[in-house]
Amino acid sequence: MHHASFDGSFAGWREVARNLVQHGIPPHQITWLGNNDSGGLFDQAPISLTSTVTNPAPRIPKQLLELLQSAAHFRVEDRWSLLYRILWRVAMGDRAAMLPGDIDGSQLHKRLKAVRREAHHLHAFLRFHPRPEDAEGPQLVAWHEPAHDILASASGHFAERLGRTRWLIATPDDGVYWDGQRLHYQRPCPSEWQRMAQTPEDTGEALWLAYYGSTFNPARLNRSALETSMPVRFWRNLPEGPLIPQLMSQARAGAQRDGQAETVARQGGKRIHHPNAKPPPINENDDLDRPD
Amino acid sequence: MQLIEKLTVLADAAKYDASCASSGAPNRSSKGKSGIGSTNGMGICHSFTPDGRCVALLKILLTNFCLYDCQYCVNRRSSDVPRARFTPEEVVTLTLDFYKRNCISGLFLSSGIIRSADYTMEQLVRVAKLLREEHEFRGYIHLKTIPDADPLLIAEAGRYADRLSVNIELPTESSLIRLAPEKQVRTIKQAMHSIHQGESEARAEKRAPRFAPAGQSTQMIIGADATDDSTILHTAASLYGNFRLRRVYYSAFSPIPQSPNTVPFEAPPLLREHRLYQADFLLRGYGFEVGELLSGPGNLALDIDPKLAWALNNREHFPVDLNRAEPAMIARVPGIGVLSAKRLVALRRQKRIRFEDLTRLRCALEKAKPFIVTQDYRPLQASRESLLLRQQLSETPAQMALW
Repeated sequence: MHHASFDGSFAGWREVARNLVQHGIPPHQITWLGNNDSGGLFDQAPISLTSTVTNPAPRIPKQLLELLQSAAHFRVEDRWSLLYRILWRVAMGDRAAMLPGDIDGSQLHKRLKAVRREAHHLHAFLRFHPRPEDAEGPQLVAWHEPAHDILASASGHFAERLGRTRWLIATPDDGVYWDGQRLHYQRPCPSEWQRMAQTPEDTGEALWLAYYGSTFNPARLNRSALETSMPVRFWRNLPEGPLIPQLMSQARAGAQRDGQAETVARQGGKRIHHPNAKPPPINENDDLDRPD
Repeated sequence: MQLIEKLTVLADAAKYDASCASSGAPNRSSKGKSGIGSTNGMGICHSFTPDGRCVALLKILLTNFCLYDCQYCVNRRSSDVPRARFTPEEVVTLTLDFYKRNCISGLFLSSGIIRSADYTMEQLVRVAKLLREEHEFRGYIHLKTIPDADPLLIAEAGRYADRLSVNIELPTESSLIRLAPEKQVRTIKQAMHSIHQGESEARAEKRAPRFAPAGQSTQMIIGADATDDSTILHTAASLYGNFRLRRVYYSAFSPIPQSPNTVPFEAPPLLREHRLYQADFLLRGYGFEVGELLSGPGNLALDIDPKLAWALNNREHFPVDLNRAEPAMIARVPGIGVLSAKRLVALRRQKRIRFEDLTRLRCALEKAKPFIVTQDYRPLQASRESLLLRQQLSETPAQMALW
């Protein structure tokens, strides 16, 4: 068994993996050690990467490198063995290894899909909280708990979205700050950032919560569709999270007859008398009377 | 009335419109610019409500005050609902606040008809103009188009909005006459035509200003009248054909408070809406014709999906040999989608397709099994009668009763 140790980054793994392929070392003879791992008791010493190269540099499609890099963001106990096995097979001419229908390729594509999905979850379910107008540093802060290492590669999206607004995203592992012009990525996440993101002084959530409650149609309650699309693990960091069980139980307790929100049903209604070619009676209601 | 109360009323009033898509917009970015907002063609669902529907946009009415008396609509003038009206500035404030919080990707604004169609349309356009010009908002905007509005106003709306939509409302003219007396199929289709023309002109001329780059959509209410699925799908197909609509949304009629007795008191099964979406998908993405899915009048089966129903009625095309068949034919196999079909074709360039490959591609094997041949597999059920197969593959009654 060979130890292959490196700094835990994709670039580091790529260097070592290329050398191993050139030395003709097959996947089953390698134990991958990321930055914090240590080898088994009976393992051989790390292979020397300075020894004479026995084979020319492997030729692989450029696309494979992109796939492997992206799949490396997938968090799993031993994330590097599969990547090397696929690299090895393709370098030996077996291109099926990259395809979703292959035994290794299907694992690869499963990881790629999970990583893509988690990046999408970041873009979708992250919630920013505005900070006080006069506060220095970020104007918006967010706390997010992704299941894979997607923050560095996926957070550029918010720079496109928010222009020159300064924002900060903190996670348990890493963090990113956009100062209006540049991204600053930190791993591990500074505790100051984590504190700022986890304790926002935000008093403006009521409007969003009112909207969420009102746009829900209680006559169409469908819990499983909700949970498939928005996994429960995200609920605790969503402002609307605590509302979900509340709205569901209200809907079950009888509101399922029609679609109207309970808060609206409680208010007095207003029929409109048909004006029949006359101008609408908009002055019957203060709010409708506003001059334009 | 406080802003929060208006929001509560006007979001409730808008929720019966099923569309909430934020996809199809061109690439826009605010990076390094003043203003906010970006679009990249992909839609994002920022939340889901307990009805399982996506929240991508702030979907509200400018006002639910309405002169019309459409029987299926909660906002009809004879309906006893609380009424409210936003100022354009209030809509702008809400949109920008929710957008910064990353709760939405844009705005979907509609309105009850006040004073006149033109006046109402002007108000909608004004909000979009404020957002785009005063606030340099580059997020998604979907505007509802008022059918009788001046084509010039529709043209102006198209310059600010990513998507425009005119609701066809009901699948047949006779239902529209009965249930929406102030609306006319003729003017609805005229508005669709104006939008289609605007799109075509913008596409033909490279330097022309953009016009509703995410196209137009419409909505049909299902189950408020007695129209069958066959008529509904034919209407949808003609709208796709005549006006190049991006989407037809099917919205199961949702019972409304103090429902008039012209419309049903109960909703149709949500499963019917689901089957219509499946059929619609087969029309748009799989090259099916309406006549293949429903050969005569009637409804889609509820217990099996429309692709399986087609396969059971057309056994002469099966079993399909996955190592030889055309990709389009593979995609017609129940349980195998367009993506899996593509992947199978890529894989068979490298090797012979075996049964276990399908497991890895996560095809719906139970459905696909009777209809396929692979290197190592021939279906035992190939000769089994369609009726028996259907019983075996039909979804359990528990699943049917989604309602």
